[in-house]
Amino acid sequence: MEHIVGIDLGTTNSLIAYVDEAGPQVIADSATGQKMLPSIVSFLPNDRVVVGREAGELARTQPLSTIRSVKRFMGLGMEHVSPDDRKRYRFVDDQGDSASLVRFAIHDRQVTPPEVSAVILRALRDRAAAALQEEVGKVVITVPAYFNDSQRQATKDAGKLAGLEVIRLLNEPTAAALAYGLNTKEEGLIAVYDFGGGTFDVSILRLQTGIFEVLSTNGNTRLGGDDIDQSIAERFLLTDLDEELRGDLQVLNGALRAAEKAKQVLSEQDETILNLAVPSSGVQISRRLSRHEMEAAVDEIVARTLEPCRQALKDAGLETQDIEEVVLVGGSTRMPLVRQRVGEFFGRTPLTDIDPDEVVALGAGVQADTLSGRRRDMLLLDVVPLSLGIETMGGVMSHLIERNTTIPASVKEMFTTAVDDQTAVAVHVLQGERELVQDCRSLARFSIPIEPKPAGVPRVEVTFMIDANGILNVSATDLRTGLERSLEVKPSYGLTDEEVERLLEESIDFAEEDIEQRLLIEARTEADTVLHATDKALSQNASFLQEGEEEQIAQVVQKVREACAGEDYDLIRDLTEELSQVTTPFAQRIMDSSIQEALGEKQLSDL
Amino acid sequence: MPTVVRCWRCQDEHTPQVFCPACEALQLLPPDIDYFTVFGLARAPMLDEQALAKTYYALSRQLHPDLHQTGTAEEQEASLQNTAVVNRAYRTLRDPVQRGRYWLELNGEQLGKENNKIPPALALFVFEVQEKLAAVREAQSAGTSGALTGLKAELDQVRDDLDNRTRGLQQKLAANFSKWAQANGSSELLGELKRVLSDMAYLRTLTRDMDKALSTL
Ligand SMILES: Nc1ncnc2c1ncn2[C@@H]1O[C@H](COP(=O)(O)OP(=O)(O)OP(=O)(O)O)[C@@H](O)[C@H]1O
Ligand SMILES: [Mg+2]
Ligand SMILES: [Zn+2]
Repeated sequence: MEHIVGIDLGTTNSLIAYVDEAGPQVIADSATGQKMLPSIVSFLPNDRVVVGREAGELARTQPLSTIRSVKRFMGLGMEHVSPDDRKRYRFVDDQGDSASLVRFAIHDRQVTPPEVSAVILRALRDRAAAALQEEVGKVVITVPAYFNDSQRQATKDAGKLAGLEVIRLLNEPTAAALAYGLNTKEEGLIAVYDFGGGTFDVSILRLQTGIFEVLSTNGNTRLGGDDIDQSIAERFLLTDLDEELRGDLQVLNGALRAAEKAKQVLSEQDETILNLAVPSSGVQISRRLSRHEMEAAVDEIVARTLEPCRQALKDAGLETQDIEEVVLVGGSTRMPLVRQRVGEFFGRTPLTDIDPDEVVALGAGVQADTLSGRRRDMLLLDVVPLSLGIETMGGVMSHLIERNTTIPASVKEMFTTAVDDQTAVAVHVLQGERELVQDCRSLARFSIPIEPKPAGVPRVEVTFMIDANGILNVSATDLRTGLERSLEVKPSYGLTDEEVERLLEESIDFAEEDIEQRLLIEARTEADTVLHATDKALSQNASFLQEGEEEQIAQVVQKVREACAGEDYDLIRDLTEELSQVTTPFAQRIMDSSIQEALGEKQLSDL
Repeated sequence: MPTVVRCWRCQDEHTPQVFCPACEALQLLPPDIDYFTVFGLARAPMLDEQALAKTYYALSRQLHPDLHQTGTAEEQEASLQNTAVVNRAYRTLRDPVQRGRYWLELNGEQLGKENNKIPPALALFVFEVQEKLAAVREAQSAGTSGALTGLKAELDQVRDDLDNRTRGLQQKLAANFSKWAQANGSSELLGELKRVLSDMAYLRTLTRDMDKALSTL
């Protein structure tokens, strides 16, 4: 039987897993042994792409053509793009009148979020194919439980563009519960709190022998560790800079990376040093940051996860004390503040003994195993996160399927005409909880073709079916003739089928960067960083130099520069290493004089 | 609903059921099958909710699309459609109010317009709630936070009262359901049932409004 693999397509990191005799496991990259693939894609001018850690390195020099956290843009329209987003990327604003789907402007082409995600999926697919020694065609991909229809559809499109058959979209907290429940054989009511890089979900589940029943779910698809980084960067690094520097992309990205690094250190330590050095812009900030200061700054963000928890409990008809176990998922739950707030809210210490990085991918692997027909001993009963409805008179949304309804869910609605000889009825499909159409998310529009008849005579029944992926399908039957009527559904923020087809053909151009090329880029980026740091230190701290040291450093700098012009990445690496070594005593002296007590042995590039 | 259907695989003719009695192939349930029949239950408003849940899980284990992913296109389609029907049926029947209303509809009865009128027995209470909600809105637009704290306590109390009344009606409804099962229905009993159902439906709307107001405090 062919393998179906499970993919956790994360905002920050992506993983791929499958199940064999030994149980579910995450597949590591054969070259590096890494299980997590950073969800970063860098587009080179020659129509090549680089993905993962190497793309992250390229971000330093090519910020506009390197996309991070693309998941935050999936299924959105241009009107959802924030001013902060605009600081970091270029978008295609003028798209004519209809298509308003988010499109990045990269080099001289337009790139949609599903295309970017497809690059990540292809890299994972290749990784799995190499490990399993077989073609990988069918996949389960996880999505945030609170993803709406457009976001789910965009994820499915990404799979298609990667040449994959997406047989199921699985909600991330449900996947985590699956992996967790199988481990413990636990029964009872659990809450899964999933706080990742870009999204927050909470799901309440009832576990009983072999059935994982989701009672309710809630969340925020634009709330995650990224927001915490942003807040730290703004509060502690960017405030001191003038307007122009704050708008500098290298400074902004540098600040975000520095903030993330400090945040992670503060999960283990009480204090750290926030370092931001952008030599090209003359920015050099180094400041102490305590966990306490950081927590005070980001508490508001963490607090925003609690209202969805309250709502999910209420929708499940439960009180906090009914919850027997709270499971933490996602990298951001490593923050002590998050654990503390969640613990206070639910009145119990959350479970942290499962690996928050791998659990979603493992659950996806388990579900893939079920879908491939290998196991029949467990079943997921999941729900739709948002109410589905249609626009009615006066711009009011009329609910057809309530949120937290178990899927698949279907409802039939009768349509007729208002005037004689009307030949079509327009339907506008929406998702959301608010009363007014303008406050809900537009999903799609379609028009029901009608034979001309006196008003009120035609009777067409439209079936709205939300399938097991949480994706809407509509079909129509003319009740007078009993014939099926085909509907052309136009997604509000999605690729059309034709566009997917076209992109699928074009995507052949996106040959993956070969490994030699990748290593060369990586080595050059590394060398660049050290060269920058050295230049900066020499110009700003020359007084710390000892006899003959400047000449010795200058010699190695020269050798590194020459090597970078060539293609021998091993040589570049070795020389970069040599440069780091000869400058270490110098760096040590600078450091000792300033922030000695807080730092251990460091190199120039860490400053 | 048709009384006899034909199996898509072996052409066996049988009464509507989930699996063909002859070849065990998954069958598409008739679109107009009633929710009680889906669960093999008599069409009566009283039912054993625990048994209903058990049947629901058992049916899901047989029908769910996740377990038919490797089947033929017909089987996959039947699995999807049937599971949607079972899910809808369960959602309706597990809730006594929705079940009562559905059962009335099956019997050609309707709560109809009375639904929106204030039930006489609740008039005073409803009046009190509306007054409090109006006071909250007023205090909010005037920005008098001191008044709001006082109102919050009052609202919480009314909210408890609402829960109590709902519980009372639930018991009344259950009693009516069981009377119906024994006596098999008089028009008097039917009237009483409808009254309890409308009262409950009304209290639900009120509860929703209150919770909305409370969540803004
Ligand atoms: N030790 C740590 N302390 C604090 N935050 C951390 C730590 N380790 C990782 N993170 C944060 O966790 C986030 C990444 O988590 P994770 O890999 O679970 O997200 P993801 O699955 O990619 O995103 P999502 O689930 O939102 O799509 C990042 O914001 C990262 O900074
Ligand atoms: Mg995640
Ligand atoms: Zn048969």
